[in-house]
Amino acid sequence: MILPQFEYKRARSVADAVALYKKEKGKALYLAGGTDLIPLVKLRLREPKAVIDLKGIEDLKIIATRGGSLSVGANATLFDLKKDPVIAAHFPALVESLDATACETLQMRGTLGGNILQGARCLEYNQSLEWRKARGFCFKMGGKECNVVKGAKVCFANYCSDNAPSLISLGAQVRLMGPGGERTVKLESLFTGDARAPFAMEGGEVLTHILVPLKKTKGAYEKLRVRESMDYPLVGAAVSVIDGKVRICVGGVGAAPRLYVLGDIRDAASVRDVAEKASADAKPVANATLSPAYRKKMVGTLIKRALKRALAEGKG
Amino acid sequence: MKTMKVSFNVNSEDVTLDVRPYETLLETLRERLFLTGAKEACGLGACGACTVIVNGIPLRSCLVLTPEVEGATIMTVEGLREDGNLHPLQETFMEKGAVQCGFCTSGMIMTAKALLDRNKRPTKKEIVTTISSNVCRCTGYKKIVEAVEEAAKRMA
Ligand SMILES: Cc1cc2nc3c(=O)[nH]c(=O)nc-3n(C[C@H](O)[C@H](O)[C@H](O)COP(=O)(O)OP(=O)(O)OC[C@H]3O[C@@H](n4cnc5c(N)ncnc54)[C@H](O)[C@@H]3O)c2cc1C
Ligand code: SF4
Ligand code: FES
Ligand code: FES
Repeated sequence: MILPQFEYKRARSVADAVALYKKEKGKALYLAGGTDLIPLVKLRLREPKAVIDLKGIEDLKIIATRGGSLSVGANATLFDLKKDPVIAAHFPALVESLDATACETLQMRGTLGGNILQGARCLEYNQSLEWRKARGFCFKMGGKECNVVKGAKVCFANYCSDNAPSLISLGAQVRLMGPGGERTVKLESLFTGDARAPFAMEGGEVLTHILVPLKKTKGAYEKLRVRESMDYPLVGAAVSVIDGKVRICVGGVGAAPRLYVLGDIRDAASVRDVAEKASADAKPVANATLSPAYRKKMVGTLIKRALKRALAEGKG
Repeated sequence: MKTMKVSFNVNSEDVTLDVRPYETLLETLRERLFLTGAKEACGLGACGACTVIVNGIPLRSCLVLTPEVEGATIMTVEGLREDGNLHPLQETFMEKGAVQCGFCTSGMIMTAKALLDRNKRPTKKEIVTTISSNVCRCTGYKKIVEAVEEAAKRMA
């Protein structure tokens, strides 16, 4: 598949990247591993005038402990993070979600920043231009309505990052730098809830670091998929137990991951309640390879499985 | 659109080329350097047929822009032979019948080569995990896994 024309720029620093973005008048896209972006450009779903390669920025590769947090540069690859001893010793949910992402080869190229900022997916959307033209453009492509839920003026595409749910369960924050300056926000507040434009980010903002509170946790990640390898989550459930508190985050259904916090892990009834509530909250539609009813049911099931493993393994 | 000058080393040879900024490494290898061992199947990162080794890491060359590999050291399946001898992986793939149509083969071999380079004695499970980055529609994978196991033995 041939790429459309665009310019290629290399950024030496974050400030340089932002300056390049301004020069391209907002018509540029940042490039990390390209494993999400390049397919989208090939399918003509993104049409940049220029791509700005962030991989040469040294500061974005660093994994370090800083002020009670593990600070992970956005360009750190999933494979390197999976092998990181500090992550292995503290964040079991993250180790499991990293391992469940795509496949080994893609983990070696894909970055954590790119993983968080990947586009939302739908069987009707991630298709070639010819396919989409023949079908008629849906709401997310600028058409009048959704092609899955007829008449709907909402997009139900699924945000399929495996690692955002585990990072949210761990209480991660993200640091951003853009034309308007620098800010740090909780990862769960980086989402708009609108699958047409899932991220609450200003044009030109670079995700620079992911900050995870450095505490020993117990945890697990459960992923529903059809194939064991190279398959996006059809539901993902991350659980982390931090200082006796349980944080549960569900991904793979809808535009944003959903976070649930449980006070007391020994309370079996509240575990059941949370699993039921998360299942009820999940509104999958027929835009993925398994039926909506099955995926909805599996939300609760995966939460219970993850909780059981997180508590049983006695990690941390 | 203006072309870009890009230099890299491929199969122990330095090359400098003028390429389109939106040209993929797979296109450059196949269409400018006539290294047609790496194949295009899906073109979208989903199959691994285009895998080559870049700075020691297996990469899907259909997702890489050629300007991104400035200064890199690249190995394709054509670079595996040494002093006229095939690489053990090439031999065992033939001996074990791990090749049918052959379209996935160079990607499989380069993915396996990168594994054996970083891990001299992989377990069967590690081989399966690595190989599951690549899709084969013919062999059923069993013979591919056996071929990698056998090559690891010979190289030990
Ligand atoms: C076959 C296949 C299977 C896959 N399976 C999975 C899976 O199971 N689970 C999963 O989670 N993902 C999966 N992926 C998606 C992808 O490989 C990973 O999410 C990967 O981590 C993306 O990282 P990247 O560095 O390649 O991102 P890129 O493609 O470089 O970037 C992704 C997006 O983020 C933006 N971006 C990147 N870095 C920054 C930054 N620092 N600041 C601002 N914007 C930025 C880019 O502009 C782009 O829009 C799969 C991909 C393929 C091709
Ligand atoms: S859910 Fe509907 S609007 Fe969204 S991408 Fe799919 S078809 Fe388009
Ligand atoms: S052709 Fe590159 S991954 Fe399929
Ligand atoms: S031998 Fe035909 S795809 Fe693998």
